[in-house]
Amino acid sequence: MRIRFKLDGQDVEVDVKHTDTLLKVLKDRIGVGSVHFGCGEGSCGACMVLINGRLRYSCLTLAGYVDGKEVTTVAALARDGELTEIQRAFLENDAAQCGYCTPGMILTAKVLLEKNPSPSDEELFDALAGNLCRCTGYIPIINAIKSVSRR
Amino acid sequence: MSLIASGYLTPTNVQEAVSLKRKLRDKALVVAGGTAAVQLISKMIIEPQAIISLEKVPLDYVKIRSNSVEIGATTSIAKLIQSRGLPNALKKAAESIHGLALKDMATVGGNIFTPAPAGDLATALLSLDAVLILRGGRGMRSVPLSNFYRGPLQFNIKPDEILTAVKISRPPKLSAFLKQTPWKYSGPTIASVSASLDLDRNGRTRRAMVALGGLTTHPYRAKKVEKMITGKKLSEQLIDGAAQQLTDGVEVIDDALASSWYRRELAQVLFKRILYNFISGGD
Ligand SMILES: Cc1cc2nc3c(=O)[nH]c(=O)nc-3n(C[C@H](O)[C@H](O)[C@H](O)COP(=O)(O)OP(=O)(O)OC[C@H]3O[C@@H](n4cnc5c(N)ncnc54)[C@H](O)[C@@H]3O)c2cc1C
Ligand code: FES
Ligand code: FES
Repeated sequence: MRIRFKLDGQDVEVDVKHTDTLLKVLKDRIGVGSVHFGCGEGSCGACMVLINGRLRYSCLTLAGYVDGKEVTTVAALARDGELTEIQRAFLENDAAQCGYCTPGMILTAKVLLEKNPSPSDEELFDALAGNLCRCTGYIPIINAIKSVSRR
Repeated sequence: MSLIASGYLTPTNVQEAVSLKRKLRDKALVVAGGTAAVQLISKMIIEPQAIISLEKVPLDYVKIRSNSVEIGATTSIAKLIQSRGLPNALKKAAESIHGLALKDMATVGGNIFTPAPAGDLATALLSLDAVLILRGGRGMRSVPLSNFYRGPLQFNIKPDEILTAVKISRPPKLSAFLKQTPWKYSGPTIASVSASLDLDRNGRTRRAMVALGGLTTHPYRAKKVEKMITGKKLSEQLIDGAAQQLTDGVEVIDDALASSWYRRELAQVLFKRILYNFISGGD
């Protein structure tokens, strides 16, 4: 079956099977670099994308679901080479080491702060529970997000 | 009906969904939030010939009335949490499922079908005497959740039926849910307890419902315990005695996550915490 969707603002058309995951299609078929495979079972958040603005695990989403929708990856957040506030905060706080988890972390932070510009620690930890980082120990990530949240 | 292309079907109402299910039966996989269903495919456990996605079926609602609560099957956990006036046990169970993406994707209906170590909402709903509304080729059917589980991944649902809603009538005044996971903000449920009570004017238990999750492949009601505490005024002694009967006659899961002994002990601790809190006037 053929699906059409917007990927980071660009129209895309691709043939998929009804059982293909979005992750597989984005990575293996289209070659998107910022969407990572970590676990394939919703436990790590490395594969996160926004679908019509909502945070989704692409490994738990079937490709057919995005037909006619807009998929946004972390790569589309910066405008004209200008990083967003959250991205800059990640840089300034050394919140990325290997970077594998970073796209998911940044997308989660973005959606969280849009909904709730001044999250409590409890709300922050609850939101980030679906994102694993094997490198930073989380403190720099939490600090980066807190630095852009309105207190 | 919008049929994107062969294989991925997106009915736009319940009738269309049911007629597809009637035609395709077990050849099609129903997908709501996808958090469990998609793994069945990607882990090659099943190979459905078609997907019936419920994304466009308008079952995403919460209706809270003075004496009943009705939740559409595709309501997300995030949306459920936002509803005011939910029974406490259900609210606590929903809040205990962590992660921004998961809360927004996972649905209440889907949770009924996800066995231990998941199914936290199912455990809470079981202690609230919830009833499932199923729609199939032959119309509508109501099945008490307590009569829905038949065995590991076996449910009282026919191949031509879909779950459309979960209903709670006469929500109990007091209810609470507690679970234990290996880590604070995530991880599988080792054991969970959900209890609901109505007290009479003299503080005696008029109605008691106690459900346990994580101990067996699907949540169950501790009928013996319910009987022990019904008609009586709760005391620590009564609670402690009842706690010992929570897993009576039940074969508790013993795996790498926890031994069955540990799960049994844990269930007792959680149960006592909930009931002690009830008698001390908490929720
Ligand atoms: C990382 C992770 C962490 C998790 N943590 C928890 C947790 O802490 N507690 C917890 O309880 N659960 C947890 N879960 C499980 C998750 O909550 C459930 O998988 C979720 O509620 C299922 O809902 P869904 O909409 O995604 O269902 P789906 O994956 O879409 O469907 C699940 C099953 O139910 C069937 N189904 C769904 N809706 C219907 C319907 N309306 N009619 C008929 N059949 C239907 C599907 O065919 C499928 O077999 C976790 C899952 C993941 C991936
Ligand atoms: S790859 Fe999707 S959550 Fe890990
Ligand atoms: S920076 Fe390496 S996984 Fe997070």
